[in-house]
Parts: sequence; C-alpha cells; structure tokens
Amino acid sequence: MTLRVLDPRQSAQGEALRMAPPLASLNGAVVGMIDNAKIGTERLFDFVEEILRREHGVRECIRRRKPDASRPVPQPMLMEVSGADAVLSGIGD
Amino acid sequence: MTSCRVLNGDARPFEHAELNRRVASGFNNTWASKKKVTGTRRPPEMRDGVAKPATVRQLLNGGIIRNMPGTPKFASAVYEVADTLEANELYQRNGWTDGLPIIPPTEEAVARFLAASTLAPADEIGVEPVRRRSITAEKVAIAAVMAGCLPEYMPVVVAAIKAMCQPEYALHGSTASTGGSAPFIVVNGPIRLAIGMNATHNALANASRANATIGRSVRLMLINVLGGVPGQLDRSTLGHPGKFTFCVAEDEEDSPWLPLSVERGVPAGQSAVTVLQVESPHQIMNEWTHEPKEILDTYAAAIRGNMLTYSIWEGNYAFVIPRQHREIFAAAGWTKQNIREYIFEVARVKRGEWRSVGKTTVAGRKDEEKIHRALRSPDDLLVVAAGGPAGGFGAILPPWYGKKSLAVTVPIAA
Repeated sequence: MTLRVLDPRQSAQGEALRMAPPLASLNGAVVGMIDNAKIGTERLFDFVEEILRREHGVRECIRRRKPDASRPVPQPMLMEVSGADAVLSGIGD
Repeated sequence: MTSCRVLNGDARPFEHAELNRRVASGFNNTWASKKKVTGTRRPPEMRDGVAKPATVRQLLNGGIIRNMPGTPKFASAVYEVADTLEANELYQRNGWTDGLPIIPPTEEAVARFLAASTLAPADEIGVEPVRRRSITAEKVAIAAVMAGCLPEYMPVVVAAIKAMCQPEYALHGSTASTGGSAPFIVVNGPIRLAIGMNATHNALANASRANATIGRSVRLMLINVLGGVPGQLDRSTLGHPGKFTFCVAEDEEDSPWLPLSVERGVPAGQSAVTVLQVESPHQIMNEWTHEPKEILDTYAAAIRGNMLTYSIWEGNYAFVIPRQHREIFAAAGWTKQNIREYIFEVARVKRGEWRSVGKTTVAGRKDEEKIHRALRSPDDLLVVAAGGPAGGFGAILPPWYGKKSLAVTVPIAA
C-alpha cells in the first residue's frame, strides 16, 4: 500500500519578483535610499551617500526613513523614490 | 534516490533536489475561487461528509475516507510514498517540519480535517501581504494533520491563524525578526473541554495532545506557508522553546475571574482564541505572602527586568497566574482589572537604569529621567488563569517588541 501525501508549502501570489537590470554607470544618477529605521542605518547611509557622490558621481540621493522597521514601506514613500534610477533598501540589522 | 513519486507531474522517480522545482508547477486547482471564511459554508462535495473524530489509525491508512463520496481535489502537489516512515523522511529532508516527526498529510486525512471545520480547500483563512501568501484552509489542514491534531481541533487552529493575520499582529515582522518570539495561543470557552485541553498541571508545557498539536500546527504553517524557515524568513538569533508549540487553555472552571476572551469582548459561552507574539515566559515564584500587592510586586520585578535587559518599550504583556496566587487575589476581592491597574502603576523603569545593565551607550541618547511604563494602559495586560493547583509559580510573557505586535482575539466558528 502507498500513501498519497500533500505538499505543505504555499507559493507567493502574483508574478515572481525580479532584480532590476544594473545601471551602466552611476555618473549623474539619482539614487533612492530607504532607511529601514534600524538604529545604525542612518549613519551607514551617510557614508554610503558620501561614497556614491564622491567616488561614483551620483547626482542626487533621495533619502527616506520607514516609520516602522517591521512593516513594509508605505506606498506614498515608495512613490517618492519611484523616479530614481536605482534604489537602495535597508534590510535587517 | 528516494522511492516516492510526484503524481500530478512527471511520474519519474526524482532526486530530492528536484522536488522544489517540480512542486511550483504541480498544481491542479479545481477549487480555484478564493472565498472568505464564513464558518458555516461547506463544499458541496462534503455536505454528507463524516464529522466524527478520526483515530490515528484511520488518519494513517485513510481507509474510511477513501470511500467517502466527494473527497475534494486539492491544489497542493501530491507525492506517493511507501509508508508513514518514508513520508516522514520526505518531509524531514525537504525542511517541511520543525524537526519532529510528522503525521503524513494524506488526501483523506486533510479532507477529514476540512470537513470537521466546514471549510473548502480554497477558502482563505487570511493573507500575509508582505510575502504575498494567501493562507488557504487546505494548507492549514495539512499543517494540522502533520502536527498530530485531531480533526476537531481544526476550528481552534483556524481561529488562531485568523487572529495572526489581522494587521495589528504584524505577522511578517514578528515571524522574521531576530528577536525570536512565538505565537502564544490562549483558548477560552467550551471547546477547551470538548477537545481535552489542559489548563492545570504543567500548563505552559507538555500535558495535552490538543495544546501541543494546536500550537505546533501554527508553527508548521509559518514554516511552510510563509516560508518561516530558520535562516530564511525566520532570522531569529535564538528563538525560544515556545516556537515548537505554545498553547494554553484558561482554567475558567477554577477561576474567580472573567475569562480572557470575555474581557476582550467575546460573549460568555462563546469559544475564542487570543494570540499574542511573545518572548520566552519568565517564571516567578512567591509563596511567602497573602498580600496581593506583594505577589504582584514579584511579577512587576520580572517585567522591569525584561524592560532593562530585553526591551524597554511598552506593549501587551501576559501573566499566567496559578491557582495558589488566584486564591490570594480572590480572598482579597481582587479582580483581573485590579491586577491590571496595579501593574500599570508599578511596572516602570527610568531610562537611566539602563546604565546598571550595561546599556550605557544608549541610556544617554535621550532624557535619562524619562519614565518608561511597561503598559500603555491597564488594558495592555492580559491576565490568564492557568497552572497546577499547588505552587506559587506564575509567569510573565513579554511582548516580542513593544507595541509592534498586539494581541488579537477571535471567536472560534462553531
């Protein structure tokens, strides 16, 4: 006798998420930076912004801070960085 | 090489590594429409289904339900295995368990569990929006079978998961956090007695199949449906033993107080679950006084310790109060509300006290004279009557992370 058993997993709804294609150059680019509201992110992003501007010619950094580290980025905040050429999103600690 | 076969795809024997790839396309969804849970709806195929509890043997061999008219077809991929041991090995190998053995979720067993809860496979229990997971009754039933539940536990499992899917519970954040916490499930009402839940000796640990497997069902759902696998979505640094299972019944019969669910708005006599995302329970002991305030000062000291050593932020705390302490409160005429109001006043620390526990660098970032309370208001404290008849041992259960996740109470569908 055999048993027919069911897969316990559930797939995500909708289309699979994909990484955006890399930029050919950061020179003159606008970079969005989403701070995940963890205690060290602001300072880390200060350094990252400085490096992006000084060493890679980034024209503008749009920095926003999530109101809550444990919840998704609010839609209006996403819209504010949606025009950027690239977005850095803080995750974890 | 395993000897099991996937049946709704290519039937060739497969290597373990192939499993993940195949399952993604292996759905044969015949109940495609997602319907909200009503608690009363039954799929047409199951209206004449069997509702009586299954024995373990019946669940394992599926013999009774195999001939039941209208066994539903499922969205989940099906695998064929030789026996229960091979089924367990399949699930262990794929990381589909918590490490403990599972009961094989056969089609027949899952059908019986759905029938017991009057749910169709595609009925949606809740949604976790961050991971875009629709938590269907089918997947919940699979988790409950795997956990070792009886079918009649299903309404409790379903209600607990519905509670965790409410926005204020913050299911994604609390599941993913490094501050490893666990859902603490408190069951009230007649269903506790009907399914043999434990509320007395060893109340927070092993004593009852129902307590153990209901809590485990939730964990298996988190692992498999949300992807809460340690090191993947679950980023807990330590976690705690309650992540295996953490479910208690309130001892309503031996308590002078209103049940927790009634205090939280559920009509008396209605079964309900309350779920709170908590850190590990901290046991306290005070057997040397008959003064309610002195008893509560011990609980409050544990809260203050948590505020200083773990998290200073206010939120839902839970107390589990044993009979020996309840008798002291009852003799003094103290209600749960009296307890909440007293704790609200005394459970607080000054920010500067962080210096005494090695948190000097952060203590001075803001006003060190600021008083932090453990509770936003007395209502933030959940008081649960449970525990063995002897011993002045209670417990505080701290929130995962302040008010980021709040307790949710949901009635259990009949």
